[in-house]
Amino acid sequence: MSALLALSNVQVLYDHTIEAVRDVSLEIEEGRIVALLGSNGAGKSTILKAISGILGQEDGEIVGGSIAFAGHDLRRASPASIVARGLVQVPEGRALFATLTVEENLVMGGYGLSRADTETGLEEVYSLFPRVRERRGQISGYLSGGEQQMVAIGRAIMAKPRLLMLDEPSLGLAPQIIDSIFDTIVGLNGSRGLTVLLVEQNAQLALSVASRGYIIENGRIVLDGMAETLRTNPDVQEFYLGFGTSGTRKSMRDVKHYKRRKRWLS
Amino acid sequence: MDFLLLLISAGLVSGAAYGMIAMGFALIYKATGVVNFAQGELVMLTAYVAFSIAGAVDLGFWSLLAVTVPIAMAIGLTLERIFIRPMLGEPAFAIVMVTIGLAVILRGVTIMIWGPDPLDFAAGLSREVITLGPIPFYPAQLYAIGCLAILVGLAYGFLRYTRVGIAMRAVAANETAALLMGVSVKRIHAVAWSLSSAIAAVAGILFAANFKLGPDMWFQGLRSFPALILGGLDSLIGAAIGGLIIGVVETLAQGYLGQGLREIAGFVVIVVILMVRPYGLFGARDIERV
Repeated sequence: MSALLALSNVQVLYDHTIEAVRDVSLEIEEGRIVALLGSNGAGKSTILKAISGILGQEDGEIVGGSIAFAGHDLRRASPASIVARGLVQVPEGRALFATLTVEENLVMGGYGLSRADTETGLEEVYSLFPRVRERRGQISGYLSGGEQQMVAIGRAIMAKPRLLMLDEPSLGLAPQIIDSIFDTIVGLNGSRGLTVLLVEQNAQLALSVASRGYIIENGRIVLDGMAETLRTNPDVQEFYLGFGTSGTRKSMRDVKHYKRRKRWLS
Repeated sequence: MDFLLLLISAGLVSGAAYGMIAMGFALIYKATGVVNFAQGELVMLTAYVAFSIAGAVDLGFWSLLAVTVPIAMAIGLTLERIFIRPMLGEPAFAIVMVTIGLAVILRGVTIMIWGPDPLDFAAGLSREVITLGPIPFYPAQLYAIGCLAILVGLAYGFLRYTRVGIAMRAVAANETAALLMGVSVKRIHAVAWSLSSAIAAVAGILFAANFKLGPDMWFQGLRSFPALILGGLDSLIGAAIGGLIIGVVETLAQGYLGQGLREIAGFVVIVVILMVRPYGLFGARDIERV
């Protein structure tokens, strides 16, 4: 079975010198929720930016490997054409258009759509998030964090995604709100078969909804497998799930067994 | 009393010209984050283009506008494509330097084509004095104020209700997020340049009809700067209102305080207003949630 999104040996440089991501390969099958886990600065967001084609904004560049979405090569594609193919990102920290109203934010999500499609899209988002409907006329920058996250997800849904990428949707939100956001994500996956790439620091949460997980450290994928397997892996438990037994800090890289495993596979 | 009214009306007319020029600045600044120092030169160039068109065919004011504006938009698109597009992603300061270079080029080109002497340009308007109450007006003066009002209305509708207009505000708010939504930032920049040139054409024709058409007209760009700052740099409607305020303040200062104070008055006003409102009258503040 071929994957909907496949990265193979992707390497990303910033400023032609700083290697942020090296030899990253991952595959996402249609209809699945896949988690990409790692700590700060591991390269998670860089991978999402590479997929969305916006590395140029930060002087980054894909120097090796390939990214294919439904059989199309995305390495040279413009961000607009990537969105048009149905590969849509909810960026880290929400990144709403703060000076625009909630509804204007949503309309921008469906930028490429016809007027009629925009109307049905808005209706769909409002029925998904009734709270967003109440706030539709307000300036989005003044909403609470949870409401902003709903608008950010709604804005991405407006673009009619086949694959939705979420960059740390739990960041800075109260646990209750995180639960409802994750319920929505799982709901979208179940009801319309939306494929999801979930980038998270919160491994426990992400592995509880994902079917498959990848763990990235220092720009390399160090471990991957079914979510269930990852959850019970003693090293993952120690480093990411907080079940550690010893007081000493180790790094996943010290665990020789996993090092650069992806390289021989691909 | 009549003297005061006369000064105010003259101030509104020159203020309308400042306002229109400042709106062109504000539009490009809003969409691209760059102050286009060639805006005054665009105003001058498009006014000369209109002059040549009026010399070739006999047109009324509105038809002259209808012919000149599309040409101006094409000029704006071309300049953006040649001079600004290659600079995409460079620091704003570098792009500003390019616009300064562009300004010098446009000044030179204008003198090369049309010569250094001032020209008389009626822009298809009659010169019969119209009296409104106690105050006499030339038609061109009333057209200037009317066109400013029309441009403000169009700008408001465009930015609030059209998809491209909303996208322009979205790009201003968060460029990366706009890219992620499939907005082509390049295209939005090009649209901003062409619309700004259209505004420049309206401003240029009316300024030339009211005052004179000469190769020193580019200086009006700098004269409109206080209006732009007063309105808040990125607000088109603010720029228009700022223009009117600066125009009136300048003529009042000239009429009651003395000739030399005209040039200073506008700058005194912005210093005072910026002390109270650092974002200008209508500028966007950074939104911070507490």
